[in-house]
Amino acid sequence: MQRTLTIPAAALAILTAGALAPSAFQAAPTLQVDPLWPKPLPNHWLLGSVTGVAVDARDHIWVVHRGYDSMTARTEIGAATTPKTADECCVPAPPVLEFDAAGTLISHWGGPGDKYEWPVSPGGIAVDGKGNVWIAAAGPPDIPGSANASSRGRAAAATTTTATTTGGAATAGQGRGRGTTPAPPPKPQDAHVLKFSRTGQFLLQIGKAGAPGGNDSTTALNRPAGVAVDPTGAEVYVADGFVNRRVVVFDAATGAYKRHWSGRQGAEFGSVSCAKVAKDGTVYVCDRANNRVQAFDKNGAFLKMGVVAKDTRGTGSVWDVAFSNDPQQRYLYVADGHDQKVFILRRDTLETVGSFGDGGRYPGTFYSVGSVAVDSRGNVYTGETLEGKRVQKFVPRGAGR
Amino acid sequence: MTTRAILTALVAVLLALGLVERRLERTAAAQAKPGVVAPRFEVDPLWPKRLPKNWVLGQVIGVTVDARDHVWIVHRDNLLGANEAAASENPPTASCCVKAPPVLEFDPAGNVVGHWGGPAEGYDWPESNHGITIDHKDNVWIGANVGTDAHLLKFTRAGKFLMQFGKPGQNKGSNDTENFGRPAKIFVDARTNEAYIADGYSNKRVVVIDADTGKFKRYWGAYGNKPDDTSFGNYDPNVPPIQQFRTPVHCAELSNDGLVYVCDRPNDRIQIFTPEGKFVKEVFVAKNTLGDGSVWDIAFSKDPQQKYLFLADGKNEKIYVMLRETMEILTTFGAGGRQPGQFFAVHSIALDSKGNMYTVETYEGRRLQKFVYKGLAPVTKMDQGTVWPK
Repeated sequence: MQRTLTIPAAALAILTAGALAPSAFQAAPTLQVDPLWPKPLPNHWLLGSVTGVAVDARDHIWVVHRGYDSMTARTEIGAATTPKTADECCVPAPPVLEFDAAGTLISHWGGPGDKYEWPVSPGGIAVDGKGNVWIAAAGPPDIPGSANASSRGRAAAATTTTATTTGGAATAGQGRGRGTTPAPPPKPQDAHVLKFSRTGQFLLQIGKAGAPGGNDSTTALNRPAGVAVDPTGAEVYVADGFVNRRVVVFDAATGAYKRHWSGRQGAEFGSVSCAKVAKDGTVYVCDRANNRVQAFDKNGAFLKMGVVAKDTRGTGSVWDVAFSNDPQQRYLYVADGHDQKVFILRRDTLETVGSFGDGGRYPGTFYSVGSVAVDSRGNVYTGETLEGKRVQKFVPRGAGR
Repeated sequence: MTTRAILTALVAVLLALGLVERRLERTAAAQAKPGVVAPRFEVDPLWPKRLPKNWVLGQVIGVTVDARDHVWIVHRDNLLGANEAAASENPPTASCCVKAPPVLEFDPAGNVVGHWGGPAEGYDWPESNHGITIDHKDNVWIGANVGTDAHLLKFTRAGKFLMQFGKPGQNKGSNDTENFGRPAKIFVDARTNEAYIADGYSNKRVVVIDADTGKFKRYWGAYGNKPDDTSFGNYDPNVPPIQQFRTPVHCAELSNDGLVYVCDRPNDRIQIFTPEGKFVKEVFVAKNTLGDGSVWDIAFSKDPQQKYLFLADGKNEKIYVMLRETMEILTTFGAGGRQPGQFFAVHSIALDSKGNMYTVETYEGRRLQKFVYKGLAPVTKMDQGTVWPK
């Protein structure tokens, strides 16, 4: 596209991925940010904290975000409070957004409904081979370090951040959102996974809000963080989660329990923030707090483990993973929302061979990059939670646009 | 280069720009049917360059441009939290990132070429940084806006401390003649060597001091009234305007033709005065805006006549382009959001000699952005929204 021609090459180089480890005999992918993707949202809509990003078979990009509940009422969404404090700017976008590859918003939906329990806070999002959309209900919101909120000097009391209602435009105008008081009564804690058609029609709910189960439960979850459907479309893998420490597998059509596993002795899971299935059936688990990617076969037999940014403390380094677009899926992209990078790992060895990104609010830099996805052309999409509140696109270097 | 030589060169550039602008204006007027033209801008999405040393910015709370077209910002490094400045934690919890020093100087290409600031012996670093201005002598002024802040600081461009005006905790209100009340911003008049202080977050006035000695010369409130610290409650667009400023009084900018433009932020109005504080007129902008208000910061176009006035509105997230003579809004640009050309709490603006605009964002915006001046162009949309490169 011609807009890229106007960007000085030297400036692009600054934002371009650099290979880290000379041990790789094969050069890791290098990527550069597209600073003008996606296109500006209509209707004065804003993204809240983005908790999930996924790519479907059409190379459309799906985003789920925390909407209203992640907004600061006083300063951010003046057109969505009662009374309004600004005429037009701004209001939270609906929680689920679909973009085409050019970055145009194609569809939007989400929020509370009669037949299902919309999450207190969404987690990951996945689109299966049939085009159905899965969303983990991961709330209360995982906001590490309350200093993050208090440092902004606003009335973001814990009660208001954890106890508000829905996301999305459905409640716009009720004067909620962070920084307002009083908070409504707490909603039941998230403990479920939702399945919708691509147009937002409700299909299935696994687990029930307010009825969490432990690590051995065959019917209940506890703040599941991520969700993925295997390449055959038969089974759904749930990263369970921010409270439980396991992977649970269900029948993707019926929601029937199939199996689950936890980490093995000596390599127990910390928070389990993702579980993604490669084409060859290997399951990659984000053992976030332990800075590890753990690989298993479909039945939970341990295969291998890789450590990423081993000195990371706090929230840990392994927030989400995605596979490269080549047929062998030779690389894993690991979103590290604490070091503010996307690491590139060789999938066969789980060795880190590169990274891109850095901290900041500019194109190509991150604040809390917590989700990652790859399209069929090798473009990498990232979602930023907390106050990052962006989805960004990174293009393979040298690829035509 | 001497200061005089720099000024002479600057004047030459301004005159040249003025000629070019007049020519462009004629061309544009010929193309536009009803014929409204206004300065047009496009964001540069890749400016500035990546900060060195793993630095990140906190709330960016002031911007100014010097005679070399270097861009200066002041930001609140102290408000960066454990998730964002994890490498500044003790012990570090991640490889990224480190709090940048509070004052940063960028060259026109967007490289950091200077940095300093923070508490030290000899002066009271603000509890909360606010407002930065570089004057005709190349000295850097900084405001201060919370708690006991009641003072201004003046440094050389290299960060050597020069003067402190006012003492923390000593403000006695809007008629104090030695201290300020959380002063927001400073403008220095090169012709008279006077500094105009938007005072501020607790006082409700404009103060003029001698820029070298700090001696109070005059001050005034809204409409030129004697300032009064009575609380008038929250702004209400449906009742007659109050006769005093509301805090914060957020800017006081002097034009080349001798008019002082004051940001009466939560009152959603610009009040215009003579340099002596005689009220000339007022204009309301986005009058329904509540809370933080609409009138955050003002900059003038770089032609000698300063034909246009730019107003930053960090609540409605846009920049208004106004015809200064009539104070009519010709067009606006900007939108809420985190992408290039969008804003979260656009707080301050400044222009370089080429007419490029720089904006900074507070709260969770935390950016310095550059908008490239594209000349005068016919206005086709009242609200341009996000202005990306075409």
